[in-house]
Amino acid sequence: MLPKFSHVRPSSLRQAVQQLASSGSHVHAGGTDLLGCLRDGVFGAEKIVSITGIGELRGINSREDGAVRIGALTTLSEVATSPLIAQNYALLAQAAAAAASPQLRNQGTIGGNLCQRPRCWYFRGDFQCLRKGGDTCFAINGENEFHCVFGGSRCYIVHPSDTAPALVALDARAHIRGPLGMRVVPLGSFFVLPALDLARENVLRSGEIITHISLPPLAPGSISSYRKVRARGSWDFALAGLALALKLTGRRVDWSRVVLSGVAPIPWRSSETEKVLLGRDLNPRTLREAADAATRGAEPLSQNGYKVELVRGIVEESLRAIMESHPETPSERT
Amino acid sequence: MKQTEISSERNSSTDAQNLEPWTNPTVVGKPLPRVDGYERVSGSAIYPADLILPDMLHAAILRCPHPHAIVKNLNTEAARKSPGVRAIVSSADPEGKLVIPYPWWVPEGPPVLLFDQHCRYQGEEVAALAADTPYQAYDALRLMKVEYEELSHLLHAQDALKPGQPLLHNTGNLVRRPDTYQRGDLAKGFGEADVLVEETYETSCEIHATVETHVAVARWEGEQLTVWVPTQAIYEEQKSLAATLRLPVSSVRVISQYVGGSFGCKAELSKHTLIAALLARKTRRPVKLALSREESFLCAGNRPPNVMCLKAGAKKDGSLTALEFTNLGAVGAYADWADAAGWAAGSYACPNIRTQDTEVYINAGKARAFRGPGAAQSAWALEQMIDMLADKIGMDPVEFRLKNVPATHPRTGEPYTSIELRECLLKGAEAFGWTKARVARASSSDPVKRGVGVASCRWITEGGPPTTVIVTLFPDGSATLNMAAADQGTGTKTIMAMVVAEELGIPLQKIHVEHADTGTTQYGKSGGGSHSVMVYAPAVRAAAADVKRQLLEIAAGELKRPAIELSLKDGKIVPVREPGQPKNLSELKDLTRREQIAGIGHPPPEPKGRLIASFGAQFAEVEVNVHTGEIRVIRLLACHDSGRVMNPLTHESQIFGGMVMGIGFALTEQRVLDDHQTGRMVNANWHDYKIPTAKDVPFDQLCLTIDPKDAECNSAGAKGVGEIGTVPTAPAIANAVYHATGIRVTQAPISPMQMLALLAARREAR
Ligand SMILES: Cc1cc2nc3c(=O)[nH]c(=O)nc-3n(C[C@H](O)[C@H](O)[C@H](O)COP(=O)(O)OP(=O)(O)OC[C@H]3O[C@@H](n4cnc5c(N)ncnc54)[C@H](O)[C@@H]3O)c2cc1C
Repeated sequence: MLPKFSHVRPSSLRQAVQQLASSGSHVHAGGTDLLGCLRDGVFGAEKIVSITGIGELRGINSREDGAVRIGALTTLSEVATSPLIAQNYALLAQAAAAAASPQLRNQGTIGGNLCQRPRCWYFRGDFQCLRKGGDTCFAINGENEFHCVFGGSRCYIVHPSDTAPALVALDARAHIRGPLGMRVVPLGSFFVLPALDLARENVLRSGEIITHISLPPLAPGSISSYRKVRARGSWDFALAGLALALKLTGRRVDWSRVVLSGVAPIPWRSSETEKVLLGRDLNPRTLREAADAATRGAEPLSQNGYKVELVRGIVEESLRAIMESHPETPSERT
Repeated sequence: MKQTEISSERNSSTDAQNLEPWTNPTVVGKPLPRVDGYERVSGSAIYPADLILPDMLHAAILRCPHPHAIVKNLNTEAARKSPGVRAIVSSADPEGKLVIPYPWWVPEGPPVLLFDQHCRYQGEEVAALAADTPYQAYDALRLMKVEYEELSHLLHAQDALKPGQPLLHNTGNLVRRPDTYQRGDLAKGFGEADVLVEETYETSCEIHATVETHVAVARWEGEQLTVWVPTQAIYEEQKSLAATLRLPVSSVRVISQYVGGSFGCKAELSKHTLIAALLARKTRRPVKLALSREESFLCAGNRPPNVMCLKAGAKKDGSLTALEFTNLGAVGAYADWADAAGWAAGSYACPNIRTQDTEVYINAGKARAFRGPGAAQSAWALEQMIDMLADKIGMDPVEFRLKNVPATHPRTGEPYTSIELRECLLKGAEAFGWTKARVARASSSDPVKRGVGVASCRWITEGGPPTTVIVTLFPDGSATLNMAAADQGTGTKTIMAMVVAEELGIPLQKIHVEHADTGTTQYGKSGGGSHSVMVYAPAVRAAAADVKRQLLEIAAGELKRPAIELSLKDGKIVPVREPGQPKNLSELKDLTRREQIAGIGHPPPEPKGRLIASFGAQFAEVEVNVHTGEIRVIRLLACHDSGRVMNPLTHESQIFGGMVMGIGFALTEQRVLDDHQTGRMVNANWHDYKIPTAKDVPFDQLCLTIDPKDAECNSAGAKGVGEIGTVPTAPAIANAVYHATGIRVTQAPISPMQMLALLAARREAR
């Protein structure tokens, strides 16, 4: 059952920021994550500030400089089906389409997707865990099949979002409005590891609202894809996923972004994999080395060692698909 | 009681009882849509959870958060003063000591106290209250102060009988004496075998996960209690409620007109129903008590987990020589069944068998009957074992099964009224393209491997008395069918209305079904054991035939013709010699004067010395991605002998529904307990407990049938189909996974997580 709270629906950003100034207030977008958290007693709320009355937070449009702007209230369905996104950022369209279920995608927003709370079943359940102010991370000695293999320390959540790794791979930026005005944060530095702060998953300070996301144009000819593996066909978070963006000449990698989902408390960018790929031809050996690099440093818990295999599998599989659909690099033929 | 009076009075009308199955039915066997389809789909059907009665209160239950604890102190003062709270019940009240009876199929067990201070599972009831609104009820629950002494908990069947483990009951952790069955000489059988295989299989605890959670609405009028509750068993619940509350049975009325899924977990009196009745009595107001999704995951039943050790031998020609099957099952905190091994003794013709079922208590929610209870777990082990044997002697798995199809029931030697298992295997394999699919495997470099698998199944069903059905016919040619049967979503109402339509020649639209209400219907068996059609179709037919007999007698008197020269067609009396001159019922003056004809029917006794069983074979094709562990079921084909198919649409939905459930059992479903720490369930919600979604179910599903034209089983010629459809699906999928990958996954579910771990282990071993 939900706790008691007041509910306001301001019509401007300025009012919304003002409303959020009081303690215990939360932004309410689609509510698909927020209401679940409140019902399950993950955290409480004094005031719910719905931002759905603020028109400027909606919609996808391209700007003159070639960048694309996605309003924070844009639903995942809109992101998944927008021709503008599909043409320019296939990876993001695929990631949005791979999230949750049709109903949730129709209701859930991209802003909410980035700010959703972790799905660790101890955090969500009736356990007084570290992230909720308790003194134990139950995952360490407990049921940790779905927990992280990278970036954990004291707390072993994975970041639940599918769109976040895609946006990190696309060098997207979050535009944030708060009591002190606007600020812009690259998605790559938006998320926060438990070592830095146990109580939150991103850099938002209280009272701040994401107004929109901006995406720089991808270099012409770039390719991108999102591959997600889950335990059932739909309505399920990633066991592991791979957000991949590449620029190739023939089969030679000129530039790449490799970001993993489902394996770390934040979208996990693997710079080591990017380094392996840079300037190399996609061939079976590169694939193997890339997979090695992507899994290097993994620290599985007692039940999630399979995630290391899985990361290896999706890195090889995704790169192989790209390799096979591209002609060999001209210089190699001679 | 009224029902016994009626049955003794009417027992003489045996002519209606000895009907032969129809030869050329015109309604039965047609793919007709459900009579209550519109109500169910449009939302106008009123389920118990939809009921709103004047002055109704809402109740909520305080549950123990620990798997094993003693309630040291319970303080309800603050809750009592909370806004809207009208009444509280707890162990402090005399009602707290009430003992809930076990259902008839669980003959004995430790007493189940309504509020036991010794809490044996997470979610055990500690207290309950009723308030004006559900919110007030839940707010007040939070104000209850409980002091628990936590006890160490027991979660694994394998530990239950070891020394030093916590004891759940003062009788120990053993539910009942292990059940052993033996035939032939096991050692001799193993000696005769050319190949031997040994393997241990495990199934996970599966939750029924009905879309409608459990709910009860209770109302008292004086000393008369009415309870609306979704249940398969109105009379079972009536009897148990009356016994617990020390009321005359006739003072309790149970109504269950719509059920939103049950699968066995809504067939016995639950504590929440009793609590609703007690709070309603205390407050003299109607009370609704609806369980939350979390509560239904914890406390409303499950398919118990089993550990099954098998050893089997076969000759090179494919004949089974010996089977040893030892099962250990965990029923949860109170008595129920967790058997599996005994089932296997009745599956194939194997001369030397020893099976043993041992059942133990653990600190977790109690099991309840679950679609094909025992049989589904048994098949997971046995049908994979059969595959291993076939593989070892290099024989096709279909051929191997054909070799061992029994002629009679292997345990008792009794013949079946019909058995088309052989034909199910043959026709299914043919339609599936089995032989071709077995050889067409993916190229070795492709990480996505394809494979096919088969499994067969059998389900014993019993119809027969006691059950009383009444059919009434009005002069305008409309009829009312009155029967106890609930329709759990299986289509019982539709099929029984079809039987009336068939027998009386009146359209379905003119038949009203009045059912599942102990206040208005006569005693009838509950909907369980897949026997609704076998019990009710013959009874309904007998009642309709009784109406017809009386009607033709009236017509004979009026038309001055012997009754045998008259027939009933399209709701009209047709003289056999002058078919061109039918008479409308409304033209029969005697009928109009009588206002109504009532016919009464009972199911005839079961055929003597014969067993009735349904059979089937299912075929699965899967794709396994060996890089990611992902498993996709590409297609499923079922071929079943269910006797006469009363309605292909409802039959198919039973098989398809069963197969979908089987996909969950095979691939995704599993209760996860926080093993080494709190012992609590961590996935008591829809997204962590994963039932299959539309994307997990193949588009390519087919259900074929074989009608054995069984004239012996009953007057409908129909056998049961509710449970069998889920029994072979999971092992067929597991066998297909083996065919695709060469990896035998013995532990359900075959998740990508497990698949990846097994693939990695194999790589390392090489
Ligand atoms: C059963 C289930 C399965 C799911 N599966 C997946 C999945 O597979 N992959 C996946 O990626 N997601 C999944 N989700 C998450 C889902 O996509 C998110 O719940 C949804 O995107 C959140 O959007 P919302 O608008 O409903 O957010 P809300 O619930 O309204 O908000 C979520 C959080 O973000 C904050 N917030 C929202 N908007 C803003 C803003 N503009 N600025 C600052 N803070 C904000 C809120 O205060 C709140 O804390 C699943 C969710 C459920 C319930």
